[in-house]
Amino acid sequence: MGRQGQIAEELHKEWTETEEVILKRRSVRFYKKAQVPEYMIRRILEAGRFAPSAGNGQPWKFVVLREPDIINGITETTVTICRLFKSLIEYRIPGKRWRLPIAKLNIRIKPAELHPVPFSACTLIADRALGLFHGAPTVILIFKDVRGISNPDLDCGIAGQNMVLAAHSMGLGTCWVSFSKLAFQYTGKWKKRLGIQYPYKFVTSLSIGWPVGDPDGVIARPTHAVDWYEDGAKTVVH
Amino acid sequence: MAHLSFAEKHRIPIYDDPAQVQWGLVAFDYDKCRRCGLCVQICPASCFEAIEDKPRMKTPAECMMCSDCVAICPEGAITATQNFHYTGRYKTIGFGHLQKPRL
Repeated sequence: MGRQGQIAEELHKEWTETEEVILKRRSVRFYKKAQVPEYMIRRILEAGRFAPSAGNGQPWKFVVLREPDIINGITETTVTICRLFKSLIEYRIPGKRWRLPIAKLNIRIKPAELHPVPFSACTLIADRALGLFHGAPTVILIFKDVRGISNPDLDCGIAGQNMVLAAHSMGLGTCWVSFSKLAFQYTGKWKKRLGIQYPYKFVTSLSIGWPVGDPDGVIARPTHAVDWYEDGAKTVVH
Repeated sequence: MAHLSFAEKHRIPIYDDPAQVQWGLVAFDYDKCRRCGLCVQICPASCFEAIEDKPRMKTPAECMMCSDCVAICPEGAITATQNFHYTGRYKTIGFGHLQKPRL
């Protein structure tokens, strides 16, 4: 049996280590207070630095936050903005049905931001039922260089996923947090405080910390229709 | 391939109407559950309430089927039973059944 045959045989028996990290990685929203050692964050940043990007442009800027004042401050600003949005568009509470047309208009203007899931999340953040960074001791903000080649948002996503998977392979927990964008989109306060200016624009953020309990694990997900073209025919596989 | 019709694309569903937005559902096995409360704590959509430490799904519960509760439960007492389904502008297209990773 050649090397390729051997590899194929092994793959039928078990997942690779990398696949295991990918499949078991779950979003972590409950962290221990203990800080993550600095060298682990440096290693995570290395995983991001070596991500592929269009034209090897590396159009990202990472900002590591390990100061509770800044992390809590960004949270407070985001909560304030969510409260404002909630007071304008939350129509699902008794007596506030009259807000429905206003909500619908806003959903039409920002359909991705006001999909049912973030619509609910906005209310939960406003009510403090959903934390922003969930008490994580370290937060990495990801900014894109808007002059980046082709699609810098995508490159930031690839770098972010590299960092997230590296973190989980070390036993850490992470969560992608994009609601923090509100603190950079609708106010200048945190851009000023962190010295963010052109050509950098906020993309997303990652919360990183030691998880409470054992949140990583295999779960079920819906299959998706995949079109498969081969031998002159198209089949749909799930 | 399933597509969005013109009408669907432009219709904004009412988020609290179960006919227009169907949220996920999970089931608890109370024989296994040790009442540790982790699921209630970590649910991003605040879907659970604990009645005398016994977790259960609120009604309505806006579950997006992230299955973080299923994964974190130390006793394996939670099972995902129904995936989310949206209509209109957000219609879920090409989704199959819930399945674990296939080797």
